[in-house]
Amino acid sequence: MNTKMIRTLVKKEMLDVFRDKKTVIMMLIVPVVLYPLIFIGVMQLMTFISSSMEKQNYRIAVEAEDEGRFLHKLEAFCQDGAQAAEEGQTDDAVSSTEAVEKTAGAATGAVEESGEEAEEPSYEITIVDADSIGDYETALNEEEIDVYVSGQMKDGKLQYNVYYLSSVNNSSYAAGLMKDVCDELKEDMTRQLLMEEGMDAEAVLEPVSYEKQDIASSEQSIGSIMGSILPFMLVVSLLMGTMYPAIDTTAGERERGTLETILTLPVTNRQLIVSKFITVAVIGMVSALLNILSMGAIAFYMYKMLEMQTDMGSFDAARFLPAIFVCILTVFAFSLFISAVAMCVTSFAKSYKEANNYITPLMLVVMFVGYIGFIPNIELTQTMAMMPVANICLLIKNMLLFKVDYAVIAVVLLSNIAYAVMAILFLSKIYDSEAILFSDGKAGLQLFERRDNLKKGGVPTVSDVWFVVALTILLVLYAGSMMQVKFGLAGVFGTQMILLLVPLFLVIYTKRDIRLTYGFTGAKATGYLGGALMTVGLLLVNLVLSAGMFVLFPESMSNLETTFSNIFGDNVAAVFLVVAVAPAICEEMLFRGVILHSLKAKYKISSAIAITAALFGLYHMSLIKFIPTGLLGLILCIVVWKTGSIYPAMLMHCINNAISVLVTYYPEQIGKVLPVLNKSSFSASEVLCLCAAGGIFIAAGALVLNKTKNVAGEEKKS
Amino acid sequence: MITANNMIIANNLIKTFTKNEKKNKKSDFNAVDGISLTVREGEIVGILGPNGAGKTTLLRMMSKLMKPTDGMVSIRINNVEISDDIEVKRHIGYLSNNTKLYGRLSTRELLQMLGVIYGISEEDTKRRIDEISEVLSMDSFLDNRIEKLSTGQTQRASIARCLVHDPQVYIFDEPTLGLDIISSAAIVDFMKEERKRGKTVLYSTHYMEEAEYLCDRIIMIHHGRIIGEGTPKELRMQTGHDSLRDIFAGLIAENGGLESDMSELDKGLTGKRRARR
Repeated sequence: MNTKMIRTLVKKEMLDVFRDKKTVIMMLIVPVVLYPLIFIGVMQLMTFISSSMEKQNYRIAVEAEDEGRFLHKLEAFCQDGAQAAEEGQTDDAVSSTEAVEKTAGAATGAVEESGEEAEEPSYEITIVDADSIGDYETALNEEEIDVYVSGQMKDGKLQYNVYYLSSVNNSSYAAGLMKDVCDELKEDMTRQLLMEEGMDAEAVLEPVSYEKQDIASSEQSIGSIMGSILPFMLVVSLLMGTMYPAIDTTAGERERGTLETILTLPVTNRQLIVSKFITVAVIGMVSALLNILSMGAIAFYMYKMLEMQTDMGSFDAARFLPAIFVCILTVFAFSLFISAVAMCVTSFAKSYKEANNYITPLMLVVMFVGYIGFIPNIELTQTMAMMPVANICLLIKNMLLFKVDYAVIAVVLLSNIAYAVMAILFLSKIYDSEAILFSDGKAGLQLFERRDNLKKGGVPTVSDVWFVVALTILLVLYAGSMMQVKFGLAGVFGTQMILLLVPLFLVIYTKRDIRLTYGFTGAKATGYLGGALMTVGLLLVNLVLSAGMFVLFPESMSNLETTFSNIFGDNVAAVFLVVAVAPAICEEMLFRGVILHSLKAKYKISSAIAITAALFGLYHMSLIKFIPTGLLGLILCIVVWKTGSIYPAMLMHCINNAISVLVTYYPEQIGKVLPVLNKSSFSASEVLCLCAAGGIFIAAGALVLNKTKNVAGEEKKS
Repeated sequence: MITANNMIIANNLIKTFTKNEKKNKKSDFNAVDGISLTVREGEIVGILGPNGAGKTTLLRMMSKLMKPTDGMVSIRINNVEISDDIEVKRHIGYLSNNTKLYGRLSTRELLQMLGVIYGISEEDTKRRIDEISEVLSMDSFLDNRIEKLSTGQTQRASIARCLVHDPQVYIFDEPTLGLDIISSAAIVDFMKEERKRGKTVLYSTHYMEEAEYLCDRIIMIHHGRIIGEGTPKELRMQTGHDSLRDIFAGLIAENGGLESDMSELDKGLTGKRRARR
């Protein structure tokens, strides 16, 4: 690609964006001015709240037949309270400042948390003469007193009743205090009774004592606090930073009418997209780094203040260097991802306003997923590492907790880059279409057309299919995996239903021809035969492949095997239904039905098949499964293409999956009939034999398929 | 037919759009419906037609901004046929009402950037900018942001944009629309000058006098089809009318008249009819 051209285009985009006041404001003012302002505001609020809490005065009326014990204790308690208040004040300042740091910037959170923590305030207690108030209920309701305590002797025991209004803050707080008073009174009296009996009060009352010792280093505690907030802030600020340049370079360019100008230049679509993408991503990174710096400065300031007020113990900032380094890498990777996604969304819009509307749902989704950092006990597994947004949040959290796993870091970074590349390819595809460029002509996305306007028949458009596939994959990733964790086998079935129903909705909504889209046409017996031969051949080849994978990735392979039976349980019939039959129908209808047929209508058959097979491989979301499943996808595509029918592919898919179910559940029986299926390592000669046999089967299958008359093809000719 | 070194040939061009009809119904129609034309080197060819006749679509396809549904456009530069769309764009200067400029850049910045994109060396670009600025008398506003310019200045900047790479072929879509007499005269003169230098110009317009004064040949289109073609003289001979205006009206009447389902077209022409009275 011509770098000079791209450099010039990037320079132009940068100039264009930076001379726009809106973008600059979003980029600079928010992090540099707004965050410190919010911070100062929150601090002010905090001091206001704690000062207003200080002067609480609780009025208490006591009427008890206890020889003045309660009153006496209460007075003692007041004096203690006054002392505690002085200590509490300093405590209080610390806890509120801590609260600020925890939420640096997230103003609402800070207020709530500080509210809770500052609820150990100083107070005064006024003892009101019980005779002067008359009826205690009226007195309580009119807030003359906050709490009314009555006490009687009952069966030789002292019984105190504390009357209060749970709806009034002061009243319910004072009632809590009364319980403390009672507890102390109780302890005193017990102690006294025990002493009278001549027993060791300490030993009887506290035979067990315990004390918590926090051995987390101050780095770890700070890391855990930062770990829940920083990822969210980062993700959101990156999206905010990329949002405006993304809108400006896509919808903005169209709104200002410069898009047609740039089309007259000898610039390819890809150059155009790449330069726009670089611009958006760079601006996103810069604004994210500004955000981090600003937040870092606030955090540092907070830390210094804390250090002055309390002895925090030693804090070694250098321990965070790896985390900071990985954070910066993820910021880069994520800014690539989020700019590509934001541009995909905004380039459908014709104006700024429309683009803003389109980006709001994206914002909500990103924020929602970004919250994952706040949820405890979510592990960053290999699958998790591939989930956009969530993976970034969890990775940063882990790094701040000093949990380092290089493989996962690599997966997170690479998956973000891979998604970005996919989004960019998609973008340069849609930028090619005149529907997007000139906003006349045929719309690529029929899904958003008025349904009345759609013509019946045909297969879905490629843009529709991409959109729906993206939606389906997201649903499967989030809803599907959640269902699988929660409901096991039923969840797997649910995932299959997502695969079936979401695309089916598209097909029905856009009034496509179901028979054509899904290939619901009969196939000849030779079609089934050819398909079966190829599937058997592939099975043999895959045996070798998975044995090879076992050597390369022993852990992942055995993980794969154990999860299978662990999740699915013992009901073989149900497992068969969910693992063999359901995918044969649902996955086939999506991949070999909707995707293959719509791609086939637009692209060359070879690329349609390659894309479908690769998608099928990716869909299994595992590095080691990619090649075998991709190959299966390839062969099933060929079967559908050659026979013109989806039925043989469904059958083959079912058989293929059924075999793996059988191998898992009946290893012995299978071992007797076909020992080869149970082996996990092969000698060189065996590998050759298997590959040769597999190759022969596949070739034979291909031959048979080639001879088969394509039913759909015949129809076309006639 | 005379073979020239540079020329544009359109062969049976068709462009199909889906059109919104009155009540949520859509139908396909051909905005350009089988147009074939040839523009030879050093010729100014004018495309005349009412609004919605398909002029813009035709010119967009000719300059490779849009892909035809059917048919083909071929461009020969120095006797070599250029097949690559991107390469073709290097030899065309295209201008239309929809080719707006980057308002936040100055004209000079814009032209410098274009120089790099067209692969012109820095010094050559600089020299070219000076030349253009002199021809179009743009000195006074060359360094101002484009969003601050007046309509006439903007149009001149737009033309400057088409000139940076000194193209062999100009394709202009209504370049004088909405300009005052002086600005449009400048553009007309400019096209004449370029023809003298052997450049080829294909352009569309609404203004009959301008077409008559400027064009070597005139192609009249209506409903996406050519309804008349030739030098002004030939057209007079063919139709027996004297003024281009009458020729135009006559040809349109012959070809289904104005009873068009395109409301836009009606609006456009009632204005014109009134003007004739």
